[in-house]
Amino acid sequence: MSRIVMIFALLLASSLSSYGADSAVRVELDSTKASPRSVESLTEQVILRDYRFAWMSVAQAVEFNTLDPLEGAFTGEAKQWLSQSVTNQQRSGLSQRYADQNHKVQAVFYAPEGDVMELHDTAEYQLQIFDGGKLIHEEHVVVHYVVLMTPAADRWVIRHLQAVPQF
Amino acid sequence: MRRLLTICAAACLGAVCAAQDLHGPTSSTAGEEAAISTTGSGKATFYLLGPGVSRKSDISLGSEVHLQAQDLQNAGEYFAVLCSDTCRSSSFYVTAAKPASLTFLVHPSRVPVGQGDAVSGVAFPFDQFRNLVLTPATVNFQLMAGTASLSSRSAQTRDGIAWFRTASQKSAGTLQVDASLGDLSARRAVQQVASDPCNLRIKGERTKAGILVQTEPVRDCAGNPVPDGTIVTFTATEANGRSTVDAPIKQGVARAQLEAPGATVISVASGVAMGNELRIGAQP
Amino acid sequence: MKFTLPIILVAVTAGLMTLALFGPGHASGTVGIAAGSAVFSAKASTPEQGLNNLLSDVQRRNWDRAFSALSTTSAGNKQSFIQDWTGSDGSLRSFSSLEGFQARPLHATNDDAQMRVRLHWTTPVGPIEDVRDFHLIREGDTWKVAWPKMQISSVPAQVIPVTYLRWDLVSGNASDEWGSKNVDAPHVRIISMNAVDSAEGAVVMGEVVNEDTIPAFVNVNAALVDGSGAAIDDESSFDKIDHVLLPKQVTPYRIDFPNINLKNVKNVRMDVKATLVPASADPVIGVMNQKVVSDVQGKSILQGDLMNESGQTVNIPHVIASFYDNNGKVIWVSDGYVNHALLPQSGEPFAVEIPRSLANKVQSFHVVVNQYSLGRS
Repeated sequence: MSRIVMIFALLLASSLSSYGADSAVRVELDSTKASPRSVESLTEQVILRDYRFAWMSVAQAVEFNTLDPLEGAFTGEAKQWLSQSVTNQQRSGLSQRYADQNHKVQAVFYAPEGDVMELHDTAEYQLQIFDGGKLIHEEHVVVHYVVLMTPAADRWVIRHLQAVPQF
Repeated sequence: MRRLLTICAAACLGAVCAAQDLHGPTSSTAGEEAAISTTGSGKATFYLLGPGVSRKSDISLGSEVHLQAQDLQNAGEYFAVLCSDTCRSSSFYVTAAKPASLTFLVHPSRVPVGQGDAVSGVAFPFDQFRNLVLTPATVNFQLMAGTASLSSRSAQTRDGIAWFRTASQKSAGTLQVDASLGDLSARRAVQQVASDPCNLRIKGERTKAGILVQTEPVRDCAGNPVPDGTIVTFTATEANGRSTVDAPIKQGVARAQLEAPGATVISVASGVAMGNELRIGAQP
Repeated sequence: MKFTLPIILVAVTAGLMTLALFGPGHASGTVGIAAGSAVFSAKASTPEQGLNNLLSDVQRRNWDRAFSALSTTSAGNKQSFIQDWTGSDGSLRSFSSLEGFQARPLHATNDDAQMRVRLHWTTPVGPIEDVRDFHLIREGDTWKVAWPKMQISSVPAQVIPVTYLRWDLVSGNASDEWGSKNVDAPHVRIISMNAVDSAEGAVVMGEVVNEDTIPAFVNVNAALVDGSGAAIDDESSFDKIDHVLLPKQVTPYRIDFPNINLKNVKNVRMDVKATLVPASADPVIGVMNQKVVSDVQGKSILQGDLMNESGQTVNIPHVIASFYDNNGKVIWVSDGYVNHALLPQSGEPFAVEIPRSLANKVQSFHVVVNQYSLGRS
């Protein structure tokens, strides 16, 4: 009986932790000011889904120092510098954690042919930097990102991700 | 005495707490060296994290930490952390350098003639390290057909983007679209093609093998010849059946041989455009 | 004692082998209907046995015995007989094998019989059923199949110039810089869509046109969505579409959703994907003498003849037909493969079935021909 209880508790703990990881990235998207092309409602839902997925992937990549999560959500320069970050972290033994992410995203440009969108993301999250297992820095940060997203085969991907002092 | 000891302890503690500190640059440009000054004495570990960068090194407190140009190539926010007994941090931004290339997207690559707002282009200035240049800059867009300049306009970049939109010309051919920013430029080509076939007309005659039918030169409503390879469907309908042939246009004309021994009505269509009908009598 | 088990095993194995060789075949069912992979009978004393023997030899590709057992009144030679069963010129038949058959008598006298056979073929494009009538004659006390003279296309030697347009894809040597490879995907558009219930499930069909000036490789997908917006099922047109569309060409498409009823479906989400593809405007295949008739089984079919107007052999022609009601709406899409290759400048008949429930609603139809040619891109 005690073994069954232990197994159930382990399963419950793992399911709760995965729910926690998913719910730790919140994204709000405002596409009303996008021009010259207005954003279709289906596109808006897809952008929301894929942008959230991208930030979950970033968090996984920099926390566990693995390149795999970057494959589906990024391309171009964004994929290049994120991959460089992870590779250098692997070398230096550092890692980062982006916890409790809140992204307030505004679409500011949507190309007439629908092949590129620029977003302004005011991202708030708890940044933790680790050297090995030791926490060396923790800070609640607010970062402004200029983001370029382009459509891929079955999703939108982040092509450019650049932090700026203000919009 | 006790008060004196407390004051001394507080002073020592203050001295330890103020032992190390660091000051990063207020701002930096991508690809330029920078320095971070440190205060305090003794050894410490210096960390630098930023877009594409994750570095750790041992330094002596009180000296400057030189950040090499290759560490600051990517624009974005950088965190510098200095750890001795405790850790202190500082952050700074690296902004894009001056434009060194122009990414130019033009769509579509093929467009029917005479359509309003059919061609659009978006230009992005990037520096030599592929950082998006957000400083406003003027991009010139020029449209050319062969050597003849058709139109020219300028647009200021906003949030790193300049764009334009224009109608396709009335005649088929290649439309060259140039974007330039200072001495940077990019060129793209758009094929302006004939619109849907218009006024499809056919003529036919009965031969020994059947009915030979062909179109007049197939053109769109503006008179542009429809490209070779475009499919034209010929249909021969008689009392006891129907025959169809999907024939491609060759040298402006589509031809087909249809089997229809009886009195026949022949019609023609291309895409969703229909042409005239021909009535041909039965085989003698 | 220690040899008991091996002896038992050997004995049982030998017994089973004997049973397999000389026992009854898989045939079962109503008297007079031969079925499946039947066993050869030494003496064909009934029309069923005579037909069985022939088809069993054909299944096993025992051509010598099969041909020698034909009636003396048979026309044609051994080569044409074998070619009729095995196909030629890379046709669909040449990649197929006879999996089974079911026969029933149409009429029989003491010396003459007509049998109707449903032949089940295994082919690269899936199982295909063929219905054929066989004439049997009693010669002595043995029933034999009278083989008819086969019409084999004879194409005279000639030189036919290829003047049709061809499109090639050039990827270019420009860098992978974003925006530098500016060739858009072809522009295609779904021009009609109709969702209906059928005996096997829901069906979504319609037509799609290539509005562009270059060839397109096209695929149409559909997702059935319920009232809450959740997807019930997601399917593709697979081979019920002419995938390579030349400029301004129209093709029907049909997407099957097995075991799904439309009463649960609130919305159908269509998606058409088009990619660049090298293509040729050759061969041109005419579809002649199209008409709706009833076949020997009483089913409504659209039949006609395919005419290859080019100089290239079309190994496997595939016919896709769309049927319209009096409002011009697509009410059904049928397809069928032609067993024989289309030789240059020659023709082959085709037939596709129309569902019984729709036959009297069909006002017009349109046929397109897809084709697979060996060794061509």
